[in-house]
Amino acid sequence: MSPPKLSKDQVQKLAFSTIGFVFLLYVYFTFFLGPLNRSRAAMLVTIQDRQSKLDESKDKMKKAVSLEQQAKSATSRFATLRALNPEGAPIAWFPPRIKAFFANQQIDKAVARLDNSTAFKEAELSGWTKYTWLIDLPQADFASLGTAIAELENTEPLLSITKLHIQTLPNQPQSQHVEIAAASTIEKR
Amino acid sequence: MALHLNLLHEEKLEQRQRQRDPLKIGIMVLSGFGALLFLYYLFNAYRTLEIKSRLSAVERNWTKIEPEVTAADKRVAELEGIIKTTSALDNYIENRFFWAPFLQKVSHCVPPNAQLTSLDASVLDENKGISVSLEGVAAGREPRSVAEDLRQMLIEQLGHGYGGVKVDFKTLEDLDTIVTVGGTNMPMAHYLLAINFNPNPPAKSAASPTPDHTRKR
Repeated sequence: MSPPKLSKDQVQKLAFSTIGFVFLLYVYFTFFLGPLNRSRAAMLVTIQDRQSKLDESKDKMKKAVSLEQQAKSATSRFATLRALNPEGAPIAWFPPRIKAFFANQQIDKAVARLDNSTAFKEAELSGWTKYTWLIDLPQADFASLGTAIAELENTEPLLSITKLHIQTLPNQPQSQHVEIAAASTIEKR
Repeated sequence: MALHLNLLHEEKLEQRQRQRDPLKIGIMVLSGFGALLFLYYLFNAYRTLEIKSRLSAVERNWTKIEPEVTAADKRVAELEGIIKTTSALDNYIENRFFWAPFLQKVSHCVPPNAQLTSLDASVLDENKGISVSLEGVAAGREPRSVAEDLRQMLIEQLGHGYGGVKVDFKTLEDLDTIVTVGGTNMPMAHYLLAINFNPNPPAKSAASPTPDHTRKR
């Protein structure tokens, strides 16, 4: 069976129909289905992202709770260490405190001077500063000095004696002139 | 054979041509296809709306939980910082050198006929060790021997608590001065001792026996 012969007019109409069909497909995919699919895909990505964040957040909350339990001793120890030093500039309170401390140990005329202050190299101690003090005790006897140093080392855990110079006094062999260099770790406030 | 006359031939031909009109057929096919596409679009739109409602539910949840998560994050960072700082501070505290026990050991080593006139001590950089310089005078029939006894005692006493103890004379010289000790005139010697040690106690397996010596007076 041979295909029906189409007239010129019919061929024209067929061509127009084909063009219309292609145009319809183009409009449909470009302006209707395409944006819809894109928006759906974007929403799916956002949902996945949010969902993973929600899952992570549950883990984070659990971690925070367990860390809070674990860090109880560390936080109380940290609070204790912070409380060792009062607020304010160290130069204002450290020398009087040292003077009073040695006076309580029967060593009078103690003088503390600030030698220098340096930042710690360790990142975890970035909030703390190391102050080096020169403590001068013009007249002390060895036994009292030993007791005082023991007491100082026990009551001031953040203080570390780095240098010690003891010299007998020429006219008073029972007394010594003492110079102490001590480094104290103080929080920046 | 009967003669059949078709008087509506032209009319029927026109009707057949109208029915076979490609434009009309095309429009019908297009309309059908368009309807299918429209249905497919509606199906997709419905799915998209469903996903949109899921997204808004997730967003609501996230908005509700986000401040808590941010606070938890902040708290975790803060706690980790506290733990690290406390650990570093504890490390600093534990690695301090305690001078009082050292002074006590030194005071136990000094015999009655020796005197310390100066003590100069310092912690070496990065806690690598302790360096001490002791200066004094010793009196006795053999003052150098008294100073040597002091050196041996220091090695023995410091060796109990510290590692790598080294005690050496930097200076040991006789003095012209004569002193009276217990009613007896005795010559004197001036000494300067250099002491170096590690603040950490020696390992038990590596502990060396204390030097065997008899103290002379």
